[in-house]
Amino acid sequence: MVADRSDVPRQIAALAANTFKEATRSRVFYILLAFAVCLLVFSSAMGFMAIGSIRRVVLDMGLATVSYFSAMTAIFVGIGLIYREIERKTIYNILSKPVSRGVFLVGRYAGLMAVLLVNLAAMIAALSVVLTFFGGFTPRIFAAAGYIYLELLIITAVALFFSSITSPVVSALCTAAFYLIGHTSSALPELLAPSLESVWAKRLVIALYHILPDLNLLNINNLVVHDIPEAPGFTIRALAYTVLTVGILLVASTMCFKRRDLV
Amino acid sequence: MKKGVGMDEALRLKGVEKTFRGHLSIGSHPVLRGVTLTVPKGVIYGFLGPNGAGKTTTLKVVTGLLFHDAGEVAVLGETIGERSIRSRVGFLPETPYFYDYLSGLELLVFMGRLLGVPSPKLGSRIPVLVRAVGLEGKERLQLRKYSKGMLQRIGLAQALLNDPDLVILDEPMSGLDPIGRREIRDIILSLKEQGKTVFFSSHILADAEMICDQVAILVKGRVVREGPLESLLGSEVQFWDVTLRGAPGMAPPPGSSVLARQGNQLLLRVEKEEVLQDLLDRARSDGASIRGVVPHKISLEDLFLSQIPGEVR
Repeated sequence: MVADRSDVPRQIAALAANTFKEATRSRVFYILLAFAVCLLVFSSAMGFMAIGSIRRVVLDMGLATVSYFSAMTAIFVGIGLIYREIERKTIYNILSKPVSRGVFLVGRYAGLMAVLLVNLAAMIAALSVVLTFFGGFTPRIFAAAGYIYLELLIITAVALFFSSITSPVVSALCTAAFYLIGHTSSALPELLAPSLESVWAKRLVIALYHILPDLNLLNINNLVVHDIPEAPGFTIRALAYTVLTVGILLVASTMCFKRRDLV
Repeated sequence: MKKGVGMDEALRLKGVEKTFRGHLSIGSHPVLRGVTLTVPKGVIYGFLGPNGAGKTTTLKVVTGLLFHDAGEVAVLGETIGERSIRSRVGFLPETPYFYDYLSGLELLVFMGRLLGVPSPKLGSRIPVLVRAVGLEGKERLQLRKYSKGMLQRIGLAQALLNDPDLVILDEPMSGLDPIGRREIRDIILSLKEQGKTVFFSSHILADAEMICDQVAILVKGRVVREGPLESLLGSEVQFWDVTLRGAPGMAPPPGSSVLARQGNQLLLRVEKEEVLQDLLDRARSDGASIRGVVPHKISLEDLFLSQIPGEVR
């Protein structure tokens, strides 16, 4: 009875299913989900107190809540994805079997992405109900949710990377920093570079922008709120950016984790 | 097959070293200092040593959870990094930790999938193993409701799912009551009958003495004794303890010592066979009743303690 390479998809599926079970059999998951839905309904309802276009404000508040809360969940759960397995020693049973460390990481990652998908779907369903109730529903919120999910794929891969090399606290700080930088880096070419006089300084700022992550490449929340269509090729670029970033992060995670002693 | 590795060896370690280093490599703690041992196929091999000797570290190196700094490790003739080799090894970690939200059955299905056991085979193998480890009727309970002994049993079942050639068990009898220990011992013996090799660490010497064909004693990261149990313990009697009754005035012969005297009962220790004969003759002639003559051979515990330096005990 020998496991070979053809067993890898089955192993990934088993690890992902187990990660999904782990989350969905925990009370914390349902408390978090209920909290997310309540927060969403509350923040959307707050929009009705705003001055101006109520529909836009509600939509803006709703999508922002979905986006931030999903990202926080991804960071919160993602940072413990590997560390918790080592701390609880459950990893010994898995990695002493014919399971490569890369397969283990991908399986855990896939499981968490399934959990985040359920979480996101519940929040978008709640937002749809709120928007329908107040007459502001647009089917484009599903497209916005799709891009939020792409962002979650990247954030979770970042959390997984840090989880495979360091403690949860450091992982949380580093992943949160990545998230903040990712949402502000687009200001470098758009706001900072035009205000600089030196050509070299401008080039430096642009180079820095290309090194840093830009999560706004995946964000259409503002476009949906203001009924502006996406630029041609936006989806392809967003998908390519996600696949490339996630791919690099998973390979880097595997390389770091491969030589790690499981004390 | 690696060059120089015998066909009849299940496991071979040669000069294996492992040092744990602190953050930024500040401070180091050598745990294994050249562990060398050979486990032949088809035997029950006890890996003994006091706490902190490096037993678990050795087992983690063998199972690929830790990377050794120096030396050679060959498992069933190959390095443990090979996936095909890990398919032929079953491992039960010390105090097994499992996902407590799963039931025993779910755990076995999950582990079976990781091992690449085909679903039909898994379906037929799981009930057999559940029965063998004595968990029949309990397999649908969540693991958080299992006692320590039950966790040890389900751990053993998951280690045997792939019908391994080499079974590695880290302290399999630790924390079990006498009945549980006997059951685990019986399972280990039945594995040997099936032609499997069992390599287990333990600090319960009585259990090891009962079932092991060979043992190694690890002290401070080094194997200080290794070999077949009978050659290590020998077959010669070290001394006899003799209990006599009704001989209040009897003088013990030279070469014997009085261990205890209670009422008209006397407990003596004799180290030579001729002295024993002399003592028994005197007892009979004095009209004393011989209540017991107990020969003592060197036990595994005696051997173990003789190998452990005072500061480690």
